[in-house]
Amino acid sequence: MKTYTELPDDAGSNIIGQVNAQATRISERLSSVDQTIAIMSGKGGVGKSAITTNLATALTLNGCSVGIVDADINGPSIAKMMGVRKETLEYTSTGVIPAKDSLGTKIISMDLLLSGDDAPVMWSAHSQKDAFTWRNTMEVGALREFIGDTEWGELDFLLLDLPPGSDRLPNVVELIPNLSGVVVVTIPSEVSHLIVNKSVTLARETLNVPIIGFIENMSFYVCKHCGEEEPLYPTNETHRTNFDLTNLGNIPFDPRLSLCSDSGTPIVNKHPDSPTSKSIMNVAQQIQQYFSI
Amino acid sequence: MKFLCIDCDAAMKFKDVTRPQQGSITAVFECPDCFTEIAMFLNPSETQMLKSLDLKLGGSNEAAQPMQMIRSQLETGKQDIMSNISTETGTGETSEGGKCPFTSVIADAFEEKPEPESDGLKWTPEALERLERIPSFVRPMAKMGIESFAKDNGHVEITAEVMDAARGNFPAQF
Repeated sequence: MKTYTELPDDAGSNIIGQVNAQATRISERLSSVDQTIAIMSGKGGVGKSAITTNLATALTLNGCSVGIVDADINGPSIAKMMGVRKETLEYTSTGVIPAKDSLGTKIISMDLLLSGDDAPVMWSAHSQKDAFTWRNTMEVGALREFIGDTEWGELDFLLLDLPPGSDRLPNVVELIPNLSGVVVVTIPSEVSHLIVNKSVTLARETLNVPIIGFIENMSFYVCKHCGEEEPLYPTNETHRTNFDLTNLGNIPFDPRLSLCSDSGTPIVNKHPDSPTSKSIMNVAQQIQQYFSI
Repeated sequence: MKFLCIDCDAAMKFKDVTRPQQGSITAVFECPDCFTEIAMFLNPSETQMLKSLDLKLGGSNEAAQPMQMIRSQLETGKQDIMSNISTETGTGETSEGGKCPFTSVIADAFEEKPEPESDGLKWTPEALERLERIPSFVRPMAKMGIESFAKDNGHVEITAEVMDAARGNFPAQF
């Protein structure tokens, strides 16, 4: 009796061929994108999406063409922060035209496909029972289509804003084997460093992805009365120096960053002279230098 | 996934697939030598996994539409994401009469098949309750089998007794 390997194909479904076609779609789409960068933290609440939107805007202001993939399928926030929530996506035979902010940054996000403000991401199924067995696959499929089916055109940078959790980066690397690099966002707390270190280890040792560096958000605040810089968190210097990565920048806390995100105009565009904006602009320049762009 | 006809020692070929019925897909494979057919049933979880991977049993000759998995499977999506495709059918013909070619592609692939007509057969509440106790992944086949048995034996109503009588025709207990 013949064995599995002796049978010529899978009875005609060509499942491997279908999977390869999906991969080809992504690689063809990204052939016009110079650098694809994942923005990750591992831990939630460090301001990663706010950093992503401001970094993208800073790169755009520096003359680069930039796109953002909101890879947080269940908690999409990029469209709101970039002020494009009301945009309607246009579907063509070759792809989906992404939303664009006033500066021309291109955005794709699940928020642009949901029916309303309070609509969660719910997938069609005969039953939601046992949805844990397939929901993650559905989310990876959605990310695959975001990357591969959006008409990005020529881009210098495509930033992927990953949701919290170190498990997301392997999914991205599966989809984009030649990922250009990773930027890690953290805050000066031991808890954040503890979690972020796990993501860094995964990226560097298991996935072999280049880590461009880390951004320390909410590093300090500038007193509006005397101009003194004060730490926002009681910092353990030992933990900070053990973080064996290039420091791309320490971003000062500024309540206006949050207000600007809520209003849909990143702070680097609305208050370009603020210390926070200048720090982010500096990070953008370092990333451009890293890639010689 | 591969299938072998043991008698002929030949690889079976995909023949047909039904749209999901109560979440379950049925795929039929045939031996190219002796033409023996077998049916493979995917339970709802397996069917859902196939949907989430955006893969099609039997392959697909259609080019994938932009974001077709999201647009066809996102239950809480905007109304227009399924209908405002501004494209051709792929054969050079434009869609007409408001019909979206994309929708039909998806329907062919994964849209739930309507419940089969019961040909006038009536189910008593007790029989329906027993039907509900049958595991969901075999329930559609059991229902069809019971109805087929009832029709063949001249019953117009499916009762617990009819189910008992039909039980001998099934390997699964209900």
